[in-house]
Amino acid sequence: MSIEIENISKQFGDFTALDNVSLTIPTGELVALLGPSGCGKTTLLRIIAGLEAADRGRILFNGENTTDRHVRERKVGFVFQHYALFKHMTVFDNVAFGLTVRPKSSRPSKGEIRDKVMNLLKLVQLDFQSDRYPSQLSGGQRQRIALARALAVEPQVLLLDEPFGALDAQVRAELRRWLRRLHDEIHVTSVFVTHDQEEALEVADRIVVMNKGRVEQAGTPDLVYDHPANPFVLNFLGNVNLFHGRTQHGVGVQDNRNAVSYVRSHDIEIDRSQQDSTSFRAEVKHVQKLGPSVRVTLVMDGNAELIEAELTRDAFQNLGLQHGEKVYVRPRQVRVFVEDYQI
Amino acid sequence: MSAPITKHAARQHGSRRISEPAAVRWLLTAIALAFLALFLALPLAAVFSQAFEKGWETYLAALKEPDTLAAVKLTLLTAAVAVPLNLVFGVAASWAIAKFSFTGKNLLITLIDLPFSVSPVISGLIYVLIFGRQGWLGPWLEAHDIKIVFAVPGIILATVFVTFPFIARELIPLMESQGKDEEEAAMVLGASGLQTFFRVTLPNIKWGIIYGVILCNARAMGEFGAVSVVSGHIRGMTNTVPLQVEILYNEYNYTAAFAVASLLAFLALVTLVVKTIAEWQVQRQLQD
Amino acid sequence: MKLFAKHNNVLPGFGPTMGYTLLYLSLVVLIPLSALVFKTAGLSWSGFLEAVAAPRVLASYRITFGAALAAAGINAVFGVLVAWVLVRYPFPGKRLVDALVDLPFALPTAVAGITLATVYSANGWVGRYLEPRGIKVAFTPLGIIIAMTFIGLPFVVRTVQPVIEELDAEIEEAAACLGASRWQTFCRVLFPLLTPSVLTGFALAFARGVGEYGSIIFIAGNMPMVSEITPLIIITKLEQYDYQGATAVATVMLLASFVLLLVINLLQKWSRRYAE
Repeated sequence: MSIEIENISKQFGDFTALDNVSLTIPTGELVALLGPSGCGKTTLLRIIAGLEAADRGRILFNGENTTDRHVRERKVGFVFQHYALFKHMTVFDNVAFGLTVRPKSSRPSKGEIRDKVMNLLKLVQLDFQSDRYPSQLSGGQRQRIALARALAVEPQVLLLDEPFGALDAQVRAELRRWLRRLHDEIHVTSVFVTHDQEEALEVADRIVVMNKGRVEQAGTPDLVYDHPANPFVLNFLGNVNLFHGRTQHGVGVQDNRNAVSYVRSHDIEIDRSQQDSTSFRAEVKHVQKLGPSVRVTLVMDGNAELIEAELTRDAFQNLGLQHGEKVYVRPRQVRVFVEDYQI
Repeated sequence: MSAPITKHAARQHGSRRISEPAAVRWLLTAIALAFLALFLALPLAAVFSQAFEKGWETYLAALKEPDTLAAVKLTLLTAAVAVPLNLVFGVAASWAIAKFSFTGKNLLITLIDLPFSVSPVISGLIYVLIFGRQGWLGPWLEAHDIKIVFAVPGIILATVFVTFPFIARELIPLMESQGKDEEEAAMVLGASGLQTFFRVTLPNIKWGIIYGVILCNARAMGEFGAVSVVSGHIRGMTNTVPLQVEILYNEYNYTAAFAVASLLAFLALVTLVVKTIAEWQVQRQLQD
Repeated sequence: MKLFAKHNNVLPGFGPTMGYTLLYLSLVVLIPLSALVFKTAGLSWSGFLEAVAAPRVLASYRITFGAALAAAGINAVFGVLVAWVLVRYPFPGKRLVDALVDLPFALPTAVAGITLATVYSANGWVGRYLEPRGIKVAFTPLGIIIAMTFIGLPFVVRTVQPVIEELDAEIEEAAACLGASRWQTFCRVLFPLLTPSVLTGFALAFARGVGEYGSIIFIAGNMPMVSEITPLIIITKLEQYDYQGATAVATVMLLASFVLLLVINLLQKWSRRYAE
């Protein structure tokens, strides 16, 4: 089922959480709402679910207006940030809840409920835990139970609020891959909220970058990464270096006083000799080894601006860079934006 | 009135390296325990000791006295009306206050707590001022031959007033600390409002309710000042158990007075036990 | 007071529950209490003054407030000690002792009253040791202080205890690393953090003592000008059908408790001033 978000606005007192947001989420896709905290992504998710009412605008499911439909009738699956599992119910009862609260006429039989819940528990690989209580499970297990519970009602839309936010790094990485595989299996239109760009790039079919209640850019991970619409998107997805002013050693080709050039740190090449007119001299200031990659901080000759370059470990070892050494730096890919855009 | 149940984190500080010298610790512990023994344990022991001073037979005879039995009946009736009334109110108020945001919330909470800061004597007096012979409704009530003050309805009203905040003030912080995630999850899964309340909210606040009810009940059965003002002290008619204790004591019938008092002291002990269990349960739930 | 839920809530039932809350609150608490205010407003100023400033009434204020102050002071000192010992030091039967602290909340005041009067009478368990040394407790203001200490005991303990539990072990460790002695740490680091809760507990115990009736009248002896508390004055006036006088004195008491309530609220706000 597709979701259309039309001109949604939402105020909390003086704070504008969402400012005229419009967006289309195609059927069957896994979409990430990505942005810093306070950008309005969770509010948007809650408005799609019907947990929050928008001040203005409409939400359409498959072209049908659901703005005034109660959360109970929207048939969405919602996975809460802190899971909101019912503490006093077993894992089984939690997953079965959505089925057992149906009116008698549409409620499946006990046996059907049992089969369905056990199937779902198998799907999330926790069928052996069905008699446990949420407090006896690990964070990752709780997360999967919350997901199974949301899926039990056969939602047409699955919404996840910071699904991996409360987990430690390793479980996080595992669950991410698992969610991606699960989505490839069940193909329900899914939206998840995250502030982690890596997570969005890895898991989502489509990324919606949000900032200050507005959508900055929406598109495939490749599109937003390789063709960022503005400095905010560029900056939010990875480390960048800024070069102010008109032209500097060939960087920033446009002759515009307000132009700023942006270069991702892994797009910076370091050489012992000058390659062409775009390279410039700098001094190695600091070297930081970060597992597979190495971050080199350099100081530009002339204006003392700092540049960060990210090299593979191999490249770094081949170069054999020394502290205080003078080298040449060349940006491989430069993006120029006009200054009035504040990050 | 006691501190809100949610604040009783029974966290144990394991083996701390930094502490006072052992001698200081023992001295402080000894002083604290001596203080509590003098002010709490000793009076408690005295109640039972006095009650049984002249043996079991006298004790039982004192309890079987018709006026005493009538007082027990009235006390049970009073609690049976006041506690459910305040329970319904407490649940309704805490739902509105803890699950929704609105302006004036703090003022409302202060108003709910108000009966705690009013002297029991004044709590009784206000009903005399309304329903008494010289009160607002006095002449009308007299014309229709309805007695409220110096009769059972007055006793119940005064008891409802003094026990008014007990359940609400336990449930409000408890429900606030639980948030509304679980209720929202239930709604998303298609539960109706009542289903959400009975299947999700109620199990979560069950021990909080028990805690509030047991304290409310203890006060309802034990209230003295407010009830004393509105009762009229008619033996066998408008005497509650605490008032019966007073009458027996003032008649120098000490053994009987303490025998009846021991019933109330026993109730207090049961209250403390249930309250302690409820506290542990709430803590366990909140820590999960 | 404007009451409306913000629309951002899907949970049902705000209207009915809030409506019921306000209705019940008004019927049980607000309207009856306003009766007292209206009744007082009907009094003439001179009649009011005559009732509330009679020598016997003034003496009762002195006794009530003085004894409540003393009792709250005793509870502040021992309450902090008890709370500290309960949180920090292990000893057998600790849970039992912890539960027993709430006894004054659970024990009906009349029972407390006759028991204290008996224990502290000339041949009572405690009185028999005090009397020969010339210390009379029962039927004196000292008895009032004892009764008020009993009923106010849990307040300080229960407001200070959670604060001690919440104290971060790290701040004491930091103080120790910086070279502070245990005593210095307590005085300069811990006590300032506890002060607001101690004051709040003190104020709560004081307020409870001022309004208390049942546990006091049996031990006080109720001698006019010496050991007669203000709530008893109200009752005496009522029994003499002096409704006007009772109302006037009750209003003074009610005002005092409102002031105390305000002070307690301010103290609690103050105690949260470092909260994040």
